[in-house]
Amino acid sequence: MEKKHWQSFGELNQSDAYQKDTRDEFRDELPFVGDESKSFLAAKAPRRDFLKYLGFSTAAAAVAASCEMPVKKAIPFANKPEDIVPGVAKYYATTYVQDGDVLSILAKVRDGRPIKIEGNELDPFNGGGTSARVQASVLDLYDTARLRFPTIDGKEVTFEAIDKSIAGAMAGPVVILTSSVTSPTTKAIIAEFIAKYPGSRHVTYDAVSYSGMLLANEATYGKKAIPSYHFETAKAIVSIGADFLGTWLSPVEFGKQYATGKKLNEKAPEMSRHIHFEAVASLTGANADEKFLHRPSETGAILTALLSAVNGQGVTGISDAKLKAGIEKAAKALTENKGAALVVCGSNDVNAQIVTNAINEAVDANGKTIDWTATVNSRQGVDADFVKLVEDMNAGTVGTILVHGANPAYTWYDAEKFKAGLKKVRTTISFGAKADETTELCRYVLPDSHFLESWGDAEPKAGHYSFMQPTIFPLFKTRQWQDSLLKWSGNTNDYLAYLKNYWGTQAGGEAGWDKALRDGVINPATPVAVSAAAFNGASVATALTALASGKKGGKTELVIYEKVAIGATGAANPWLQEMPDPVTRATWDNYVIVSPALARTLLSIDLNHNGQADDYEVNPPKPVVKVTVGGKTIELPALIIPGTHPDTIGIALGYGRSEKMGKSVVGSGKSAFPLLSFNGTTVSNTNVDVTITATGEKYPVALVQTHNRYDTTQGERTEVVKELTLAEYKEHPTEILEEREEELKPWGGLEKFEGKGTLYPVYDRPGIKWGMSIDLNSCNGCGACVVACNVENNIAVVGKPEVLRGHEMHWLRIDRYYSGDMDNPNTVFQPMLCQHCDNAPCENVCPVAATNHSSEGLNQMAYNRCIGTRYCSNNCPFKVRRFNWADYMGADSFPHNQDILSDVVLNMNDDLTRMVLNPDVTVRSRGVIEKCSFCVQRLQEGKLEAKRNSRPLEDKDVKTACQQACASGCITFGNLNNPNSEVSKLRKDNPNRSFHVLEQLHVLPSISYLAKVRNSEEAHGKAEEKKEAHS
Amino acid sequence: MHLKYESQLREPLVYGDKTYHQVTEDIVRPIEAKPSRLWYIGFFTAVALLMFGVYSVYREVTYGIGQWNLNKTVGWGWDITNFVWWVGIGHAGTLISAILLLFRQGWRTGVNRAAEAMTIFAVMCAGQFPIFHMGRVWMAFFVLPYPNTRGPLWVNFNSPLLWDVFAISTYFTVSLLFWYSGLIPDFATVRDRAFTKLRKRLYGIASFGWTGSTKHWQRHESLSLVLAGLSTPLVLSVHTIVSFDFATSVIPGWHTTIFPPYFVAGAIFSGFAMTQTLLLVVRKVFGLQDYITMGHVEAMNKVIVLTGSIVGIAYLTELFMGWYSQNKYEGYTFWYSRAYLFSPYGWSYWGMMACNVLSPQIFWFRKMRRNLFVTFFMSIIVNTGMWFERFVIIVTSLYRDYLPSSWSVYYHPTIWEIGFYMGTFGLFFTCFFLFAKYFPTIAIAEIKYVLKTTGESYKDKMGVYEAQPLEQFAHDQTHH
Repeated sequence: MEKKHWQSFGELNQSDAYQKDTRDEFRDELPFVGDESKSFLAAKAPRRDFLKYLGFSTAAAAVAASCEMPVKKAIPFANKPEDIVPGVAKYYATTYVQDGDVLSILAKVRDGRPIKIEGNELDPFNGGGTSARVQASVLDLYDTARLRFPTIDGKEVTFEAIDKSIAGAMAGPVVILTSSVTSPTTKAIIAEFIAKYPGSRHVTYDAVSYSGMLLANEATYGKKAIPSYHFETAKAIVSIGADFLGTWLSPVEFGKQYATGKKLNEKAPEMSRHIHFEAVASLTGANADEKFLHRPSETGAILTALLSAVNGQGVTGISDAKLKAGIEKAAKALTENKGAALVVCGSNDVNAQIVTNAINEAVDANGKTIDWTATVNSRQGVDADFVKLVEDMNAGTVGTILVHGANPAYTWYDAEKFKAGLKKVRTTISFGAKADETTELCRYVLPDSHFLESWGDAEPKAGHYSFMQPTIFPLFKTRQWQDSLLKWSGNTNDYLAYLKNYWGTQAGGEAGWDKALRDGVINPATPVAVSAAAFNGASVATALTALASGKKGGKTELVIYEKVAIGATGAANPWLQEMPDPVTRATWDNYVIVSPALARTLLSIDLNHNGQADDYEVNPPKPVVKVTVGGKTIELPALIIPGTHPDTIGIALGYGRSEKMGKSVVGSGKSAFPLLSFNGTTVSNTNVDVTITATGEKYPVALVQTHNRYDTTQGERTEVVKELTLAEYKEHPTEILEEREEELKPWGGLEKFEGKGTLYPVYDRPGIKWGMSIDLNSCNGCGACVVACNVENNIAVVGKPEVLRGHEMHWLRIDRYYSGDMDNPNTVFQPMLCQHCDNAPCENVCPVAATNHSSEGLNQMAYNRCIGTRYCSNNCPFKVRRFNWADYMGADSFPHNQDILSDVVLNMNDDLTRMVLNPDVTVRSRGVIEKCSFCVQRLQEGKLEAKRNSRPLEDKDVKTACQQACASGCITFGNLNNPNSEVSKLRKDNPNRSFHVLEQLHVLPSISYLAKVRNSEEAHGKAEEKKEAHS
Repeated sequence: MHLKYESQLREPLVYGDKTYHQVTEDIVRPIEAKPSRLWYIGFFTAVALLMFGVYSVYREVTYGIGQWNLNKTVGWGWDITNFVWWVGIGHAGTLISAILLLFRQGWRTGVNRAAEAMTIFAVMCAGQFPIFHMGRVWMAFFVLPYPNTRGPLWVNFNSPLLWDVFAISTYFTVSLLFWYSGLIPDFATVRDRAFTKLRKRLYGIASFGWTGSTKHWQRHESLSLVLAGLSTPLVLSVHTIVSFDFATSVIPGWHTTIFPPYFVAGAIFSGFAMTQTLLLVVRKVFGLQDYITMGHVEAMNKVIVLTGSIVGIAYLTELFMGWYSQNKYEGYTFWYSRAYLFSPYGWSYWGMMACNVLSPQIFWFRKMRRNLFVTFFMSIIVNTGMWFERFVIIVTSLYRDYLPSSWSVYYHPTIWEIGFYMGTFGLFFTCFFLFAKYFPTIAIAEIKYVLKTTGESYKDKMGVYEAQPLEQFAHDQTHH
């Protein structure tokens, strides 16, 4: 028998009591089970339960207390659409069209929402580059000020009702008023419409007129068109007031071309030479190798003298010695580079453009740097046509007007006359997407869809097509205007059918159409060679005479210019408003640009006087001046911008909009359009006789950079930014390298600096080491990267009151430094972002380790760990860290704490506007620091992509948002540990120009810069001194 | 132990013909009497200020640090200036209590209690700033190294801000213990004289059952000595560590090895000035002229002129190094942002120089050292100057640092920044008024301890002996 062990007599005897005990494991009844009659509360809670309750309630209280975020409802798909994978972005090729500007783009769509725009690399002109305006345009889709339904006299109606009503009201003659139309199908539809309503016509009107060029080209080349320019093949570039990198014609394309000519090969250092003449400081002027200042009234004389000089007859008629020397230099450069020279002129005067054409002819640009094959379609408006229209309207001979894309009630110099005429038109129809100044005055309003909601096509240049497809279902009751025209002209097809029909055969059938949509573009099968047009010089002599008898300038002259970000129509976009202007570094306003010389006499501010300069810099309120132009006056604050002619002032267009355009235009600047003048043929952006007086009042201007020079009373801060001339570079290529070597000598020189500059051991960095190189030579400062960064990383818009207090949140900024002569200085643009230092000063001061270093060399932020001491920001030598001073994003749980913010910020927090947010990037809450992450979400995605394909990471896998947006290609990013990555090669191939900002601090930045090299003849003063010191 | 005889030539530390009982009477009188009108006015003004401070902080916590005028370049302004200022003030108390105790400076007895109270309150005020300058103050507990479920995720021991957490909390704890242990016998005295049950009970609890037995006294003495020993290095370490907040950074104007001694000297300087301000008021209001004597005032003025001159030398050394290093960034900060009178913040630098270096030199004259009006005025001047010093160090270094592109607009405080500072004054004086009303403001036991050797009447009696020939004295002593 088996031996039996027992523990108690009960077990031995298997008593009833024992059996009950073993059956019921627990001696006491559990308080929650069994007895139904006892309520939960009545149940007795023994000690262990008490402890359980205590534990649970403490934990629950802790959990509840630490839950900061309000729970927001997310509704999952009941039926998942086949082509949408949640969390995976799709890219659709489409086209950006605004004010005639056309750019092929890819729209990034996340979960049905377009959230970001990238350039389409198949676009042969822009090659994947974008501008700030293109980047920001995605926000216009979610603009709360968009019109949400069609109206008659301001009352909501249906499209059916409005169609019916218009059918009866369409009185002849009908005029279709548009901005430049580049779409072939739209043109065909307009033609059909006009055929249906005999006597009607199509008038093209551009907010910023290029009629001078169109007419001049008609006179000299017999073509009322604008040719393509090739800055990349030009060795000598002369610009007379054409801001081709900022705003003139096609800045993205030109920026890309220009950068090609400015890229420097260390082994064979050659680059294009750009001589610039201008009156008011511009982005292009800031990039020029040499810049000469003149009065706007001297434009004709300069052109005449330049023509004479390139023809070998010397410079005549110029009294200013500096200017004369400049023209001689320009002529020399042009004639030495015949066939690879290009002259552009920003004037809208026909005669000036005719002479420009003559100069280009003389330097053999036609057919070399100027191409007449791919003519530009983006500007077709001729001022005279519009003048005629306004006359007709006032005479009562226009029965119906259909307005699309044009806003003359705001942009026409004599808007009052247009408005008066509009009142006499019986039927006024606007397709405006927003209640702009003209739409407001129209009876019928049929809001057009945003380009991201639309079908369409465009022909930006002859023979090159770009396609538009909707990336989202129209958000509001809007209809493409082409659909309306088709309906009203009796066509039963809708626009999509029409488009498909039109392209069906041309694109090569269904498959070809699909490919065209997928690629977004159709380019000529073989790249078309550059061609010339026959030049007819008959008009040149008359043009020269006309220029010679041009109006003489008064004491002060005025230039009305476009801002890089705002242009004529961008003021309603908060991202563009908050993007600092590259030239003035100001946001949210327009102002009068005055030269340092004028500031001395008019405002009694001398920038060379330390006290006065300090006072001007540190106090945001700037002196207000009154400008009088032929009876019209405007009062604006004055900003002192070096590089402006002493007798010239500048005012930007695009401000002073109707408050219906959105929150961001409220209180923002004043309109300068009324100050434009008309010379009988074309609108002129200059006024050669104005008066300017100081009012004694002050007005705050939100500048993001107040100090503009890197030389201080205690020496030049050349460790921050390095520039030299090509001549210097050729003579002494290793100058920068030696400078660095000298600076680091106490720590063993460049080679040993990393190890010897610290007490701590140096660690290996295996795997990936992210790094960036920024070429200051090809960066033109346009700011596309700044807005791209805003969009990609959900960076808050803070509004003017906050920018005034130095609270802007931009992770990436473009610093602008002047050097040399303060009246006409050299300018360097330096993109500045987190340098991702390997020995980061921010990391070791954070008490809670919220900012730390990744194994891949990223300096990263853990937002939910950050307690907001701002110590990291204080200790950052580059001041790139940004603190959330208030709840800009509505991301924290305190109720009503956004009351103190401006309407613009609140509007950015609207549910509609928030649709633009990138779901891959955390929205930061109040009280934490944020900064550039090298777009870590993209890096992760790229690494995953490489991993999924079982291959090592390559350059093509990752692109930061700034890099991708940059048309000039000045940003290179990649893995520094891979010797074959582009960034590694770039650093290796350019040892003489590479430098790290503030290298001597031993913070070991992951970003290197390539020094700015200017192709000017003179050496810098600094280098001269050095040479003297050496000898 | 004390030398039992002190020369007649030395000034007595306690004036008047005091007996032990009289000492008790004099010091406990304000506790037992009804507070004066003046006390009420002072107290409620302080409470009002405190309330304004609470509202200012409420706004800042609700709306964000944007309620202050700090910006992307100037990340610290009035907040950390005030923090360092209050911490500095909080130095004199422990110095007087601990170091002077170790050095056997008898004169400390008259002033140590109030000075220590001032230390405690000043450190309490100081602590508000690093806490409420955080963007997310509700997460402030992250700075404590406690075991957690986040990894565990630890604090960053490299960060000087973390060292601050330890340094200041340790300093506060030790100062509080030291102060309180000194209070125990005096509370017992108040308890024993109590005329209501409530008082008896409260002071009874506060005095921890003190009986005055020899054992108690012996332990009390040892504890005081141990705590004094502990506090002494703290006096030096706290402000050294506060100075590390700046010295370990890379910012020109902060990155300076001279900071630790310079900060400690500055702290003692401002601490003594604040002690002067308070004691001159207390002695007047509570009629304690016999205990807080001209001798005390003079001694403290001597410390002020000494430490003021030390910081003066530090300022000049900084300027010298700004030039001698030939570092353009340092040079700019020291010679332009600070020393150039017409630069935007030049006024603050020269304000500091005038208040901290030039004006205290007046105390080389004995007459000035013993002039109450001058002393009071100077104590205010020195505290203003020391506030300027911290402002200069923080703001003028930050607002124009390395990249000229980031140079800031003019930083000036908002009403809520000022309100926060005013609020800490409210806190400080609320505490101080309560202290003055309910606590013995002068260490009764310690006064009694020195009364025998340095009291005026005792010295007078000793004068008789001193005048005697030695033989007579010897005869008298042996023939009793």
